[in-house]
Amino acid sequence: MTEALRRRLAKKLMRHAACIMPAREKNWGEAMQNELQVIEDDQVALHWAFGCVIAGYTERLSALLQSWYGRSALACLIALLAVREFFAPLLIFAYRMQYLGLAHFLGLRTAGDDYRRLIPVMDATPAWLPVLWVAAGLLYLVALWRMLRRADGSAAPFFLGFALELVGIGAVQSVQAATGIIITPNPIVRAAGVALTLAAGLLLWWATRKRTFAAN
Amino acid sequence: MGRRPIFSSQTDRLLAVLLKSPQAWQHGYALMKQTGLQSGTLYPLLVRLSDQGLLDAEWREADKPGKPPRHVYRLTPGGLAFAREQAATASKTTGALLGAKA
Repeated sequence: MTEALRRRLAKKLMRHAACIMPAREKNWGEAMQNELQVIEDDQVALHWAFGCVIAGYTERLSALLQSWYGRSALACLIALLAVREFFAPLLIFAYRMQYLGLAHFLGLRTAGDDYRRLIPVMDATPAWLPVLWVAAGLLYLVALWRMLRRADGSAAPFFLGFALELVGIGAVQSVQAATGIIITPNPIVRAAGVALTLAAGLLLWWATRKRTFAAN
Repeated sequence: MGRRPIFSSQTDRLLAVLLKSPQAWQHGYALMKQTGLQSGTLYPLLVRLSDQGLLDAEWREADKPGKPPRHVYRLTPGGLAFAREQAATASKTTGALLGAKA
């Protein structure tokens, strides 16, 4: 890459970095941009500009997660993850207690649209597994409650819940192998579910991490 | 109950550099060179410190003509006290670790 091209790219990146800074921090964007003018080495300037883009996105994400709409969206996502954890225990409970109307209703929300496809899996599911899912769901709700109260350490119960969820996923694999029935046949959907939960946890950690330096 | 202060090595490095010459105004690029922090780490830290009243920031005309004004930074009196407290804590911790090893 030629020096002129490096400098041009650095300038473009800096403009982008200044653009993405939240409105209340626009002067910081300008400060980073003006600093580029005094860096004579083009390679260093490009490196500086890359860093400033990261700083811009860091500040943008922080501002988003401190806003009411960012927090509301994250709260909805965590609530949905908790509801998802309660889904399988509720379906198993409905089936075992012979609440077939409820089982049918819930079954329409599974792959194949019929709970009866999952009967062998539900029969083979050990009793502790639904308890594990409920515990994971409750931990997500605790994390949500702590986030809404702006309490420190909201991410800890969330990641504990996530760990339980992963144990559950491992246990389900063996149940599926024993019965030959795959609950969610599409691997992309399965992977997306785990990725979404992990992303929610990281956003929660980011939103609730300590931002105060001094004791107050 | 008061919040526990953050002890990140990046914050400590930045505060240590600012503490070396507390009355001098410093530019972002100079701070980057002295601390060894990347701009992507340095600026969010400067923003946080400034938001919490620990850092003064203002615009200064550039030394060379034709160049845009630059942002300069130095610790506020509160920031200075905090930086000294952090430095003392860090040195105590280091001393305790060295003592434990000896």
